[in-house]
Formats: sequence, structure tokens, C-alpha cells
Amino acid sequence: MGLKKGKPTPATDVPGERQQARDLDGLLLALQAEDPLTRRWAARDLEAYPEAAAALLTQLRSERENSVRQVILTALTGIGNETAIRGLIDCLYLEDVMLRNAAIEVLKELPDQVAPFMGQLLKDSDPDVRIFAVDVLESLRHPRVEEWLIEVISEDPHVNVCATAVDLLGEVGSDQAKVALASLKQRFAEEPYIQFAADLALKRIEADEA
Amino acid sequence: MLNHPRISDEDFQKFREFFYRKTGMLFEDGKRYFVDKRLLERMAATDNETFRGYFTLLRFQASGAELQALINLMTVNETYFFREEYQFQCLVGSMLTEIVTRRTSNKPIRIWSVPSSSGEEPYGIAIYLLEHWPLLRQWDVEIISSDIDTQILKQAKQGLYSDRALQHVPEPLLKKYFQRVGTQYQVRQTLREAVEFTQVNVSDSADMRSHRHFDVIFCRNLLIYFDDISRKKTAESFFDALNPGGFICLGHSEAMSRISPLFDIRRFPEAIVYQKPLEAR
Repeated sequence: MGLKKGKPTPATDVPGERQQARDLDGLLLALQAEDPLTRRWAARDLEAYPEAAAALLTQLRSERENSVRQVILTALTGIGNETAIRGLIDCLYLEDVMLRNAAIEVLKELPDQVAPFMGQLLKDSDPDVRIFAVDVLESLRHPRVEEWLIEVISEDPHVNVCATAVDLLGEVGSDQAKVALASLKQRFAEEPYIQFAADLALKRIEADEA
Repeated sequence: MLNHPRISDEDFQKFREFFYRKTGMLFEDGKRYFVDKRLLERMAATDNETFRGYFTLLRFQASGAELQALINLMTVNETYFFREEYQFQCLVGSMLTEIVTRRTSNKPIRIWSVPSSSGEEPYGIAIYLLEHWPLLRQWDVEIISSDIDTQILKQAKQGLYSDRALQHVPEPLLKKYFQRVGTQYQVRQTLREAVEFTQVNVSDSADMRSHRHFDVIFCRNLLIYFDDISRKKTAESFFDALNPGGFICLGHSEAMSRISPLFDIRRFPEAIVYQKPLEAR
């Protein structure tokens, strides 16, 4: 016994879960398999097939095994087409917190693909969905982020949506946000948190200008 | 008059919050000089005269290349023997005990060290096992170490090191496991032969399929250099490379919870590591 020279896993040791055909039809079939490992490998390999986005989204909604969900989400990020984006946005309306948060994380990674939907999301009738949309903006690498946030704090009637947006403006806000921040303070004059967060954002913007 | 760029207290605060959110690295106030120096260096390299302009680039650049360049600069990545030794102590003191306790066969324990870099980590693990894990007399252990860079793999196989790489190796161990070759030290042949080196691109799922059935993976200070999506994909590949209940050790500035929720956090007395759940397949 002791240290023994190891070897990589031999090529002949093909994981059972990958022995099925790796074409689109074979993978879609494998995505329904009973064994989670088979489903995980199928989801991983389906990233190469953009036309599989709808099937991946359907599986995502019903999938109970977290490891498979995570790989499906990664595959959808890689595919990143309109079907994938629409399906992930639909997840924002779900009660399943884990899936909703995971969808937010994926959407943050796809700025150009998410941008066409952002205006509509920020006007959603459900304030929770509007908050999730602001959460997506948190790390979205898109030049319109500040503009969207200014629109939110200027127009959104819900204090919690504005509070989420104003926090982020403290990081990305510029001179253009100053008027909107001042008017937000007036709109929610009785809300101490808004006063605090807006003052902090203004202080940071002014420090930037100094 | 020339305007010298500076980082104000507000800038530092804003940067610190953003950088923590993106990387999990938190800079205390005492690190102010270290951070400012690097920010100013990158501001100059990217022709930004103000922090504001530079921060906009960091925050919104579509490719994320500048954030990556800054991360590289903020991460001191020097390789030497027994770096972050507490994880080796955790290996022999806690992780291996758990692994052998639940082992139902006498299959070898497999440890994967990736990236190998010039070999300090895998040889360090081997020495640590020989010196501090008495159960090595009862169990076979395989150490495989991989890197994407064939040149560095060649260097690792040679096992030649300067005094600097060996600064934390106690004299008796230096004598026992190394021999002087000119101005350098070389890992003795028996130890060199005990470690298998392979080429692997961790972002390539085909490469990763040939590296499976591991009980412990050391992947320290590699994922920090990847973008978010690649980092998550690699973590998912590691999940498949590990046996159920297997452990993964990341670098001190990396947190799996920011990369993927697949692993459980295990707080051992010596270190915090991540574990593939026992019930996972």
C-alpha cells in the first residue's frame, strides 16, 4: 500500500449515461430518463442544439434534481436564443424561489438578449416581478442600465421597487440621475429608507464629479 | 498643471462593494494602498483619467476583459510548496478519514490536483501523505495532476525547484525528498514516479470525461481567472468528476457558493471545503 501511479479514466470506461446516441433525438429522449446522471449529461450535450431550448425549459420546470436543473440552466445560458430568454423570464413568475433566483442569475449573464425585454419587465403589473427585473440589472453589462433605473425611480409607484433601484443607482448613477433622485425623495418624503438611500446615491455621484 | 488621478474614499467604497459582489474578495481598509495602486495602474493602462470612467468600463464592458485583468492583478498567484497548508492538514486530518470510513472496497483513493502548474502542489500532497497520514500503509492513493500547458507539464515532471519555491519545506524533508542539482533541488525519482501528469483543458467536456472517479480535487486559484459561465460549467464538470461524498478544495479567495449551488459546504477544524452530496449520483 502507499502512493501508486494513477491513470486518467480509460477511454473504454464510457459512462453508462452517455452510451445512448448523442444526436438531437437521442439526447431529447435521454433528457426524460429516470437516472439523473443520464439527464444531466443529456442537458449538457444539448447545449449544442439551440432548437432544444423549449425541451430544456419544459424539463427545467418539472425537474426535481438540483444538479440536473443547474446543468439545464447552464445549457440555456449557452444557447441564449429568444426561446431560452422568454422561458427564463417566465420563471420570474413562479413560486419556486430557487428556480426564480437561478433564472435571475442566468438573465444577468445575457445582457444583449435580455435588453429588448427589459422595458416590458419593468412595467409589469406585479411589483415583485419589477423587483426581480431590477435584480437582473444589478450585474447586467448593458449601457442602458442607468437609463432604466432612472425610469424606475421616476415612475414606479411601489416603494420597494424604487428602493431596490435606488440602491443600485448608488453604484451606477451619474449626473443624469440627480434630478430623478431629488424628485424620488419628494415622492416618498415619509419613507426613511428612500431618504437614506437617495442621499447616499447623491453623495456618491457628487464625489464622482469632484 | 497635470491632474494626477486619485481614488477617493467614496470610490474605494463603491469599488469594494462591486468587487466583492463579483468575486467574493473583500478588501479591508488596511488593504487600501494595495487596491489603490492596482486600480491606478489599470486606469493608466486603459487611458482612464478618472475613477468614474474606469469604473464604467469595469461595470459595463461587454466582454468583461478589464474586470478579468483587474482580478488577475489583485490575485497574488505565487506557487510554492505547502501553499495554503491548512488544506493539506484538512486532507490528512479530516477528509481522508471520512473517505476511508465509508469506503466499502479497497479501491485506491484518487486525488486530482489541477492545475499542476510546475508541480509544487501534487508533490506537496504526496509528501504530506507520506509524512502525516499513517493509514497510507493500508490504502493505495493515486495522485493525478493536470494542466492545460504542455510546457509547464514538462517542467512539473522534471521536478526542479529554486530555493524560493522550497522556502516552507523543513530541512529534514528537503533532505528526504529532494536532491541538489546545481543551484536547484530536484524531487527524488521515486516521488516523481508516484505522480501522474496529464494534459487537461477543464473547459473541454471531452477532456473532463477522461478524468473521473476522484475522491478529492484540489483546484486552487484557477476558477478566479474564468468568466462566470465558464466557472459554473467547470464546477459542474468537477461535480461529475467526483465520487459521491468527494471533496473539492478551492483557493482562499474563491467560494463555491458564488459559483454553483451543487456542493455542500463542509466546515472541518482545519479548513472549509466543498463536498458532492453523498446521495448525489
